[in-house]
This record gives sequence, structure tokens and C-alpha cells, in this order.
Amino acid sequence: MKVTVKHWHAVAQWRWDTGNEDDSGDGDDVCGICRVAYEGCCPACKVPGDDCPLIWGECSHVFHMHCLLKWIGTAASKQQCPMDRRTWVTAERKVAKTHS
Amino acid sequence: MATDALKAQVRSKWQDAFKRINSNNPGITGLMAFSEVGHAVVHEETTQHLFSKQSWSHTLAFVKPINIKEDPPPKRADITTARRDFEVVNYCRRLPSDWCLDDDYMFSDEIRQKFYLVREDIDSYLSDYELSKDLSHISRLILRLKEWYDAWTPPEELGATIRNAFVLVFQTQLYSSLGPTFVKGFKDLIASTFPSSDPDIPSQTLDASTWVIFETLGFLDRYENIIASAGYEHIEAHVLEACAGQWETPMMDTLRTWMSEKVVPWLLLMYGRDANTTDEARALLSTIGSRFDFHVAKTLCDLRTREIFDIIVDYPDSAGALQDLKECLQRVDQRGALVKSLRKANRKRLLHPGAETRLILTQYVATIKCLRIVDPPGVLLFKVADPIRRERPDTIRCIVSNLVGDDDSGDSLVDESEPIVPLQQADTEDYTDPNWEPEPVDAGPDFRTNKPSDVISTLVSIYDSRDLFVKELQVLLAQRLLAITDDSTEKVEKERRNIEILKIRFGEAALQVCEVMLKDMTDSKRIDGHVQSQKASIVHPTIISRQFWPMLESSEIVMPGQFQILQDQYAKEFSTFKPDKRLRWLPHLGTVHLELQLEDRMLEVDVPPLEAAFIELFSEKNIRTIDELINAVGSVDKSAAFKALLAWVDLGVLKEDEPGTFRLLEVAEEAGPARDSSSRIAPTTEQDLAPVTSLQQQQAEQMKVYWKFIEGMLTNLGQLPLDRIQTMLRFAPGYDQTIEQLAGFMEAARREGLVGVKDGLWKLTPR
Repeated sequence: MKVTVKHWHAVAQWRWDTGNEDDSGDGDDVCGICRVAYEGCCPACKVPGDDCPLIWGECSHVFHMHCLLKWIGTAASKQQCPMDRRTWVTAERKVAKTHS
Repeated sequence: MATDALKAQVRSKWQDAFKRINSNNPGITGLMAFSEVGHAVVHEETTQHLFSKQSWSHTLAFVKPINIKEDPPPKRADITTARRDFEVVNYCRRLPSDWCLDDDYMFSDEIRQKFYLVREDIDSYLSDYELSKDLSHISRLILRLKEWYDAWTPPEELGATIRNAFVLVFQTQLYSSLGPTFVKGFKDLIASTFPSSDPDIPSQTLDASTWVIFETLGFLDRYENIIASAGYEHIEAHVLEACAGQWETPMMDTLRTWMSEKVVPWLLLMYGRDANTTDEARALLSTIGSRFDFHVAKTLCDLRTREIFDIIVDYPDSAGALQDLKECLQRVDQRGALVKSLRKANRKRLLHPGAETRLILTQYVATIKCLRIVDPPGVLLFKVADPIRRERPDTIRCIVSNLVGDDDSGDSLVDESEPIVPLQQADTEDYTDPNWEPEPVDAGPDFRTNKPSDVISTLVSIYDSRDLFVKELQVLLAQRLLAITDDSTEKVEKERRNIEILKIRFGEAALQVCEVMLKDMTDSKRIDGHVQSQKASIVHPTIISRQFWPMLESSEIVMPGQFQILQDQYAKEFSTFKPDKRLRWLPHLGTVHLELQLEDRMLEVDVPPLEAAFIELFSEKNIRTIDELINAVGSVDKSAAFKALLAWVDLGVLKEDEPGTFRLLEVAEEAGPARDSSSRIAPTTEQDLAPVTSLQQQQAEQMKVYWKFIEGMLTNLGQLPLDRIQTMLRFAPGYDQTIEQLAGFMEAARREGLVGVKDGLWKLTPR
């Protein structure tokens, strides 16, 4: 017998590639600022995904871009990553490709 | 002749009388004034003459009861003498009630003694009536009584006192002789005087003179209740006859016309007899008229209350009846009875296991519409709705599926013509509003003001929060979206339209999630278009944003063989397109269109992924056991696996040689129930709707997580009361169960033997 697939309507979820390869578990990684899952969206947005992208830091921390920019925008932030207080440096390799 | 003693007695009485007539004036001046009225001069001789038996007997003849059957009309002496005698006696006010005119003559006794004559007549007429039930006996009896009465009445010239005394004695005697038979006959007689609603039967009209007789005999006062109740019964009979089951038009006006045409003339005879002018008649009738009018309203109200369930079923053809009911309820305070009756009818006729939820809802919507007519503030509705709303677990689902037009069956709950308006919030009362009105008096403490709103608002207001609705809506939408297999934008557009409509009702924010789901659909299509342009693939996935979709059934299956390759290729292509994202397949969802090339035949089928995976496995090896298959695809529920395999057996591709072992049929077997593949064109409807877990399942799923907490708690702390568990669970993220829900859950756990309860303290059952 030969089985030929003519058409496959599949269902899939998209995930952000946060660098954590062990995405086998259901544990939702959340943005350290707004505590909403990465695949959700920041409080200011209504639509997830490309309209509310993530931002990767050199320090390996990941946030919703809007959340981080808002944080960086405040004087208290001193341009530091909110998690480890190191100066925030956006990981270029990811963010450059974020734009679709 | 009068004895000495009598003379002495008369004399002393005379002195008394003289004093009274003289009005304590000096000398005889008072007496003089008395004589001036034109009466004979009263002196002792006259009095003595009066009380002498010979002349007095003439006078007494006027008042002596005679037997009209035998006695001729009595010879009457000179009436003037008699009158003078009586007047003297009257003026002397020597007439006590028992009429001791003479030492051996008592007028009232005389009447009592002779009354047996009347009684004989009464008995004979009544026994006739009892035998024949003919009302003419009663009317003849009444006429006969009148004759007796006339014959015995003292002439008018003898003054009012004696007449009054006579009337009193006569009526007392009469009433004591008239038993229940007469009362019944009299009532029937009165009832027969009503104009019949059936024009063929001529009604027995009693002319005004009959009423005069009634009055003379004192029946009107004595039997007023009976006459009125005859009237009431007549009204009831008419209302029942004219209005039962007649719901199209309001009957109240017709009834009022009937009242004024038929009943009022009758009332005039009875109650308006003393009236000389129309105004007087109106004044006399106003009280009794309003009593009768009230009775009409009450009867109609009772009738409609009994019929209310059917009226609601018949809505909108029963609008007239509802108008009536509204009007009657304003006049008669029967709201409680209405609520009770409707609740009872609902319980008996609607809320039984045989009724579909949809039917219940349809009836409920009709109830909403009807009671809104009857009682705009919605108090009645609120009281009636309670049992309906709590009845079924799938009520929400039913409403929601109706909202999105998911129902294939029949008419929509919602009136299409009704404008779509936003759901109304239970707004706080604005006391500054000059038109503010307090809640109706019979509103309960938890009554929520429901401003006249559309049906959907009322439906949704059944439940305390609309979140439930939105969640259910989300689940429903997910099912429907995932069921769209071909790339038909039409269906997505239809869903979008539905959501847009619902947005107006539920508000933009509440349906944001649905919005994202729809966006996922279009995005998937766009992405797929791009991926296909890079590298054509037969895989066309729907890519969803998992945070925004309801919880999907998780599955651990791994697609075997070529499916795995297809998935990986697509995922790789996707990552090239969206470098920061990855795909995670939900392999158990979707549909696969397959072509099977067997030795003797070709088969094209649409199957769920699990079935596709199994048949793929058979392409490597012809005979496999079910356990083998399950292991090959990872973990899958055995019953699900069995179902998938049986689907292939149905298609005549596999055969279960022995339990649990399946063989591929390269050559079709005649015996097998091989069927044409055309019979499986749409195999997916049911399966595709299933994967999205329902709200209840989700909750159960959630509770499983909390069970871990509870278990830990009970391990560490030993026994705990329920409210303590609840308090501690509140610290758990996302815990939103009420204590009742928790109690239900703990009870379920107890049945499974996980926990035990004693004196309200829960503890783990040692294993």
C-alpha cells in the first residue's frame, strides 16, 4: 500500500524563540515586566505576535518590546535591564530580524 | 267589665301618660297644646271607653291576622274611631314592642300563632319546587307570600308604629320558615333573571313590580348576599365562556360593554330602585357597580393566570390576553398568584428532563417578552426566571450558539427585527433623575433593576457575569474556526460578521480574544501563502496564538513517517520566514486528505490525523496490534485509537482478525462491510468539534491543579475545615472557585476515596 498525502490541514501554535530550547513543557514563560506570557501581549497591545514583539537583551533576558521601551523611557531605569541591573543592550541578531 | 285592679292600673298609667303629654307644663297647658293638634279631648272616660273590650274589639279587627284561604275580608268598623284609638295609644306611647294592648290579647302572639297558615303554603310550594325544579313555583310562592302580607298588614291609617311592629314580626316569622331550599330556589330565580348570553334562550324577565314585592317582603335586604353572589356567578360564567382560550384580542372592553348593556339594567332593578333621577341612580350604582367591575377583573385575571403558560406558548398571537392581564393586575392584586401559577406550570410542563434546552430557552424568551408587556419593571420576570436559569448546565452554550446563528433547527431566539443594542449593565440608580421611580413594592431584595431592554440582555442577565458567556462564545468560535478545513475565506468572514454583531452587544473589550482568533485565521493564510511560494507544501496549517484560544485538548501523539517529514519541512520554512518564532504542532487537530493506493483499488479519504498516522504505519507492516500502534504514535487514549482503527475497518481498509490485531486488506474482502468512500465525504463534523475542551472540562482540568495544593495542605496540616482550605487556595494564582464549587470538588474527591470528612474536617485518606 502506498499512502499519499494530498492535503493536510494541520493546526499549530507559534512560539517565540526565546533561546530556551526546552519548550517541551507547558510552562509559560512570562515577560519580567508585565508578567504576561510572551505569546500574549503587553498591556498596551491587543494583538499578540508581530504587533507586540519581544526584545532580546545581551544579558539573555527577554521582554515584550513595548514593556522594555517604556521602562527604559523612565528616568529611574538608568537604562538598565530590570532583571539584573546591567546596562541594557539589545541583542542585535534577534531584533534585526524581528521585523517582518 | 274592667276589674278594680285594672282600673287602678289604668289610672296610674294614665297619670304617667298625662304627665308625658302635658310635658311637665303647669296645669293642663301642655295638654291643651296636645289637643290643638286636632284630636279628641282625652279624658278619663274616653280612655276607659277605649279599653273596654266591646269598642276595642272593633279596632282590633283591623290588625287581626286572618286566614285568607277561608275568611272573608273582615268587616271593618269605623276607621276613624279606630284611628283615633290608635293615635291616642301612640301618643301615650303605651305601645311596647310586644304590644300588650289588652290583658288577653297579644298582637305578635296572634301573628305567630296564625303563621302556621303561611308556613303550610311555603312548604307546599317548596316541595313542588323540589320535585320539579321549576322556578315558577318559587315565583308563585313569592306572590302568595305577598298576598299574606297584604292581608295581614294593618291599614296605613293606624300609623307607622303598628305597621313597623307588624313588619318586624312577620318577617322574623317568615325568615325562620324559609329554609335552604328556598334560598337556593331564590338564587336560581335571581340568576334566571339575567339576560342569557345565548340569545336563543329567552330570559325570564322579572318586571319592576316583582322587585317591589321582593322589597316589601324584605328579601332584598335579607338576601342581598345571595342576589350579589348570583350576579357574581353570572359574571363568572360569562367571562369563562366568552374569554377562555380567546387570546387574540383584549377582552376587557368587550366585557365592559357587556356589563353596561346587560348587567347594569339588572343592577338598576336591584340597587337603583330608590332612584328618581339618573344622577341618583348613578350614585347608588357606583359602589355596587365598582364591586361588580372588580369581580369581572378578578375573574378574568384568575382565568388568565390559569392559562398563562399557554398564553406564553402562543405568544405573539396572545398579545390581547396579555393586555387584559396587565389591566386586571392593576385592579386586582394577584401578582403573587400569577408568579406562583407560572412557576408551577413551568416546573410541570417545561423544566422536565424531556424538554430540550433550546425549547426551554425559547419558552423563556417568550416569557420575557410576555411579562415585559404585563409588567414593564420586570419584577414578575425576575421572580419567574429563577428556576429556569438554574436548570441546565448547557444553557449558556445554547444561548451563545443561538447568538452566533449556530442553530440549524428552526427559528432564532432573537427577533431579527429587534435592533442590536449593547448589553445593559446593571447601572446604579440615578436619584437625581426627576423621573426616578422606586422599585415596585413586591420586588425582592436581590431584584436587579432591569430597564426595558432587549431579549438578549435579559437572557445574559440570567447569569451573574457575562464572562461566562464570553468564555463559552470563545470555545464555540474555536470549534468552528478549527473545523474550517478548506481555505474558504467565506466561512471566516461569516464568523467575523457574527463577532462584529456580538461586539455591539458585549462590548469591544470582551471580545478582543475572539478578534485575535479571527486574526490568526487570516494571518495563517497569509503566512501559508508566503511559505508555499518559497517551497510548496501540501501542509496548510492554521497557526494559532495559544494565549488567546481556549484550552485545546493536549495530545502527545507523534506523527509517523512522511507526516513527520512534512511537519519538519514546514516548520523550517516558517522559521525562515519568521526567524524569531517557532512552530509547535498540535498533531491531533486538523484533517488530512489521503490517497490510498491498494493492490486492487484506490481510495481518497478525509481523515483526522490519528487515523492518517495509523494507516501510515500500516504501509510499513501489514499486521499490527493496537498496542503496537499506540506506542508508535506516542501516547494516545486506547478508546480513541480503537475508534480511529474502526473508522478504517468501516472503510474496508483494515480488518480486525482477532481482538486487538488489525490487518491491512490489500485486496478488498467481499464479506467486509466495504463501503464506497463517497459515504465519508464529511466525516469530520463531530470529531472536529470535539478537540476544544468545553468550559466544564476546563474547570475540571483547573481543579486538578488545585488538587495538588489541597493535597499538600492536608499532608502538612492534617485536618482542615472547608473554609480554611478555601482561604488558603485563594493564595494560589488564578484561583477563582467559590466555596460551593470547592465543596462540590471535595465531595467528588471523597467519592473517589482520596479524602475523608468528619465533623466538617477534611483529611487525606491514608493509602
